[in-house]
Amino acid sequence: VVSGDHWAHHTPSLNGLSYRFAVRTDDERLGRHLDSLLAGLRAPGPVDHWYSVTAAVDGGYDVTRDDEPVALAQHPGDAAGWLVWDVNRLTAEAGGAHLLFHAAGVAAGGTGMVLPGPSGSGKSTLCAGLARAGLSYLSDELVALELDTGRLLPYAKPITIKAGSFAALRALGPPAGSGSGDAEAWAGDEWAGEERLLPVGGAAVAVGRPCEPGFIVVPRYEKGAPTRLAPLSATEAFVALAVNAVNFKAHGTVGTDALGALVARCECVALTMSDLGEACRLVEDLVGRGAAERGAGRAS
Amino acid sequence: VRPEWPEPGSVPARRPGASGVPLDDNLAIYDDVGQLLILLNRTAAGVWERCDGSATFEEMVQGLVESHAATPEVIAHDAWETVRKLAELGLVVDAAEQG
Repeated sequence: VVSGDHWAHHTPSLNGLSYRFAVRTDDERLGRHLDSLLAGLRAPGPVDHWYSVTAAVDGGYDVTRDDEPVALAQHPGDAAGWLVWDVNRLTAEAGGAHLLFHAAGVAAGGTGMVLPGPSGSGKSTLCAGLARAGLSYLSDELVALELDTGRLLPYAKPITIKAGSFAALRALGPPAGSGSGDAEAWAGDEWAGEERLLPVGGAAVAVGRPCEPGFIVVPRYEKGAPTRLAPLSATEAFVALAVNAVNFKAHGTVGTDALGALVARCECVALTMSDLGEACRLVEDLVGRGAAERGAGRAS
Repeated sequence: VRPEWPEPGSVPARRPGASGVPLDDNLAIYDDVGQLLILLNRTAAGVWERCDGSATFEEMVQGLVESHAATPEVIAHDAWETVRKLAELGLVVDAAEQG
């Protein structure tokens, strides 16, 4: 695919679990915004698909992929949202060689955590809170389990936060390492529509590398409930992952065995939460205890 | 599955292509053919393990009676229900009838 040179801005090559793409736009300012949002997916290599975001005559934005329509958005923030939605969909298709979970993922000290859950479980908000606290970001939507190695692979799309959940995240403040532009986005910005996209991969949030899994945390937002962690049996963790597996049937018995192995090697807990800050502290403590136990194990 | 199956002389056998993963006291089974994931509790998992195509249903029940505290009548009933359900799900066949 040849990109025309009349575009005001092109992103670098981007890659989501083998879905390789780039974005071009005739709106320089929107282009810089998309660059920031998609920084976590930067990867040198060929571009298989081009997204184009163009200002329409009626003031909206046309979003196309390889000249096929994706969406007509009224607001540049919504155009970014549609673009990310399409990338998610095609990344899930491209990553089919892996066992994919509808889950968030973070990592600390090279040990990964899977947070499976349906929409509304609070996993993206929790993931954003944990990334803000300094954990490495893997994904807030799609976690890939590499079947031949058992590793978790990052899909560092921008974090998508529903408008109703953003106040709790904003109350925690921006990530410690964020630059001015990222801080604005994390504080709430002009691009926000129904959902807010938070940049990752820049100064604000570090993107994790492929890592060994160590924790499965099943989050559930429950308004007014005490925020608490509770142990989860292997059966409960297995079921939570299985029902949130995107392509379980495609991997059959191999996927079943991989899921069993994943559960067997992880500490599994359920997290009921109504207080984001407290939830983040509990998960950070869990990760810290795990690291201490692994250190003690190596020393003995 | 015939209404009376399994009978005392039936030989229940797990169908190839089903993978079992132990979880706590339970067993998760995925069947590649039927694309079905089911969870068996400990008792049902014990029945599943005995569906190896080497024993008749009567012998299977006898083995379960020797390892469980419930009465033989209760065990026979529960084993019949479990084997039948597994057969209805396509996970167990009769090795004698399959040849």
